[in-house]
Amino acid sequence: MSGNSNMKFLYAGIAIALLLSILAPFLASPDPDGLESAAGGVIEESKMSELEEMEPAVSSPMPDYAIEGMGKSGEIMAIAIGTIAVLAISFGLGKVFNKKA
Amino acid sequence: MHIPDSFIPLTQAVVYWVIAIPFIFMSMKWAKNDLDEMKVPVLAALAAGIFAIQAMNIPIGMGTSGHMVGATLVAIVFGSPWAGVLVLTLVLLVQGFAFGDGGITTMGANILNMGIISGFVGYYTYAALRRSTGTSIAAFGGAWLGLFISAVVCAVQMWIAGTFPLVPGLIAMGTYHLIIGFIGEGLITAVVITAIAKSRPDLLEDSFTARPEKSKKEAHA
Repeated sequence: MSGNSNMKFLYAGIAIALLLSILAPFLASPDPDGLESAAGGVIEESKMSELEEMEPAVSSPMPDYAIEGMGKSGEIMAIAIGTIAVLAISFGLGKVFNKKA
Repeated sequence: MHIPDSFIPLTQAVVYWVIAIPFIFMSMKWAKNDLDEMKVPVLAALAAGIFAIQAMNIPIGMGTSGHMVGATLVAIVFGSPWAGVLVLTLVLLVQGFAFGDGGITTMGANILNMGIISGFVGYYTYAALRRSTGTSIAAFGGAWLGLFISAVVCAVQMWIAGTFPLVPGLIAMGTYHLIIGFIGEGLITAVVITAIAKSRPDLLEDSFTARPEKSKKEAHA
């Protein structure tokens, strides 16, 4: 991998992604996203509360990009962990496919 | 635009998985044929960046917010919508399993909307516009339309699921994502693609895809 100029692109990408992870908990809008807003507007209230009460099929370790009881720093950590996980998975997968070819 | 489990009945959610799986398989085939040592770091950087930027909801007014999807951006950089499908599938997997963003049963529907529809519509719109409008405007137009169409399809899915009424659902999803697509998708995609075109034009042009190793790989394929 040495001499691969695209590694610079990777480092820049990691830096930007981690910077976004730190900023996101402070800058992200607390308003619901487009789909949730649409749901709130077009679904009858009784049905909406029914939908909201339904549990997800699989419970996740860091729901809503937060770590329980850790506040903003937990949110930063959750997003940073996700960023690094996506990075590692895509890099690893890329390597596996590259070897097979 | 991540659809939670409760919004689509299980049988319909399975149908969307059945539709999405061949596309995921094709995106892996793309990776096998097209990824090389030079491209892997670029793919990983884009995937990580898209995950992070999706965590940041941009206020768009009307009490709603939206975030970038990024499939068009990846597709433009790699010159293939399959790259967008692959990256969005990875991002959605991590979002769904680790963060409860988008359901697991509805992940097929989310991959279909955000990865496949937004990536294909966005990329081919970009490709059609590029010659007449230039890279920046084509990237903006492709990304905007890709997100808008994917939101319209999402509204139709919500109607089939019995969750949204058809016309109000289309109007609400369309209006919100018209704006989200403008700011969150179009503008960011155009800025990133323009920056790459200025600093690393080799990543966007055929030189990135037509590498000497590729002919060797194709000979083996």
